[in-house]
Amino acid sequence: MNEETIRARIAPLEDYIMKHCLWQFHSREWDRVRQNEGILSKAKQLLCEEPVAKETPEDRCYWVDALALTEAFKKRFAWLEEMDKKSIEVLMQALKERIDFVTITGSLNKELTSPRY
Amino acid sequence: MPYHEFECSTCIPERKSHAVLKGEEDDLTTCLPEGHLATIPGTISERGCAYCGAKHVIGTPMKDAIHMSHGPVGCTYDTWQTKRYISDNDNFQLKYTHATDMKETHVVFGGMDLLKKNMIEAFKAHPNINRMTVYQTCASALIGDDMEAMAREVMKELPGTDIFVCNAPGFGGPSQSGGHHKINISWINEKVGTVEPKITSDYVINYVGDYNIQGDCEVMCDFFKRMGIQVLSTFTGNGSYDELRGMHRAHLNVLECARSAEYICNELRVKYGIPRLDIDGFGFGPLSESLMKVARFFGLEDRAQAIIDEEVARWKPELEWYKKRLTGVKVCLWPGGSKLWHWANAIHEEMGVEVVSLYTKFGHQGDMEKGIARAEVGTLAIDDPNELEGLEAMRMMKPDVIFTGVRPGEVAKKQRIQYLNAHAYHNGPYKGFEGWVRFARDIYNAHYSPIHQLSGIDISKDDFRIDKGFMTRQMISDVKLTPEEAHVEGETPYTGEFDCVTHLRTKTYPSDLARSTTAQAV
Repeated sequence: MNEETIRARIAPLEDYIMKHCLWQFHSREWDRVRQNEGILSKAKQLLCEEPVAKETPEDRCYWVDALALTEAFKKRFAWLEEMDKKSIEVLMQALKERIDFVTITGSLNKELTSPRY
Repeated sequence: MPYHEFECSTCIPERKSHAVLKGEEDDLTTCLPEGHLATIPGTISERGCAYCGAKHVIGTPMKDAIHMSHGPVGCTYDTWQTKRYISDNDNFQLKYTHATDMKETHVVFGGMDLLKKNMIEAFKAHPNINRMTVYQTCASALIGDDMEAMAREVMKELPGTDIFVCNAPGFGGPSQSGGHHKINISWINEKVGTVEPKITSDYVINYVGDYNIQGDCEVMCDFFKRMGIQVLSTFTGNGSYDELRGMHRAHLNVLECARSAEYICNELRVKYGIPRLDIDGFGFGPLSESLMKVARFFGLEDRAQAIIDEEVARWKPELEWYKKRLTGVKVCLWPGGSKLWHWANAIHEEMGVEVVSLYTKFGHQGDMEKGIARAEVGTLAIDDPNELEGLEAMRMMKPDVIFTGVRPGEVAKKQRIQYLNAHAYHNGPYKGFEGWVRFARDIYNAHYSPIHQLSGIDISKDDFRIDKGFMTRQMISDVKLTPEEAHVEGETPYTGEFDCVTHLRTKTYPSDLARSTTAQAV
């Protein structure tokens, strides 16, 4: 998968997350890092049919958001079904980098680094 | 940055960074207004104070406590004539409001004796209520009255009583949001963990950040109970003081309004390891997904699916009836905080309306991030607007309906623009599947009301016909539809009851649903 294809496929995935999800918008940077990692890594595992940890309450909470996300992705983007696992892994890594940029590293939200909640 | 400068605010240059117009190429790294800052001197904004955020938003929906303001009587203005957070105990918390009626003499000589006298009088006036919340106001905070000391004295003198003291005076934050924060933190520090609740299910949640506006919270709790989930506490709509003291025993915090109540969820996560799950209770799609997420946490997917299937089959045809007639209607989504993001995309996708502007009175930049992310290109997003900016935005965006509060709503009416009450609702609840149809019905009634045509006629000047009646709602709304589109079998306007909440209060739920049959439950 070349960069152009990745960019073209990330755009609708990002748009879906931005319009339908709330987990990426916790109030502090440290929390967004944790949320994005927890949910998008589990989403990648689900799409690649890898085992997903859900034994602890925290993991289970990430898993329910990740499962809702992957179900929506599969329903809306038929091309995901045609991708092999390696390509999905590359795509989801690029998606995570993009979501991290939009919500954390490139964010204009000045409260992200506040030491208080 | 695509800032938008209002003509009326060029004399307040700081205001420029508080409004943005979302462009084709924009995302959150290029388009975000300032937020949660002190209101700029010279601009008359529509915010409430921190005391209001603590007491009138979060504290007072608690149904079985006396709510006392230690300050001038005017601070208790927001009570049952402006608030609609109902409860299942005959609305005790709305019907009775209490203030110490502080005057100049108390400011000079101290108000602690006055506070104690009022607390004791209030308990005696309500012998069946032994819980109380007491709120600091600007006046009592400035003179340094020690409310905690008085509360301790009263609890000692009246055994069996329990009093919560909230120190969130009006000046303690740039807006009501400062008060939300303070009462969240005070409640978990002072009260959570002081009662051991009775656990009746293997699946236990706190439902947080819902204030039971016209029954929203009761509708959502019905869904949870139908799945066998125990709602240990509701923070704070229809909430019980002692149940809220037992929040630490839940397995999951289900969070609705993150703006007002994320703080307590974050603290419960840190102190007690209870995870936080953010949900959307508005809209068929978001609500279905939210119910499924809560169910999955406990391994109850089948129960959630059965509820979703039943509710969608019952109410979707009625939503479709409205969607056809609301498609293309332009609205300004101008609530206080969280509804700008709860509603921005759901009303567009599910009702077909176009959101042309968002604003928030007390939201933070995080709320604007969510709102702008969910809004379409061309949306004007404004932080903490003043009245003139609101008027200019209406002239610029030409909306058909404004969703906002009572005060800016009256301003909109004078511009001959319809308004719906986004805080207290018109004919809610708006949560739940049926509630979402009620919301669509209210938008439809607002936009197509005959009064809209009639209000444009000046009978002292205009020439108007007296041999012809006015056009009804449906005569206007159905003009743009073909007969096939207008008449689809099963699609009708709302057919529910006027009151869709009271019957839930006597409903019973099978107790066997509360027990796990597998090892999946947490």
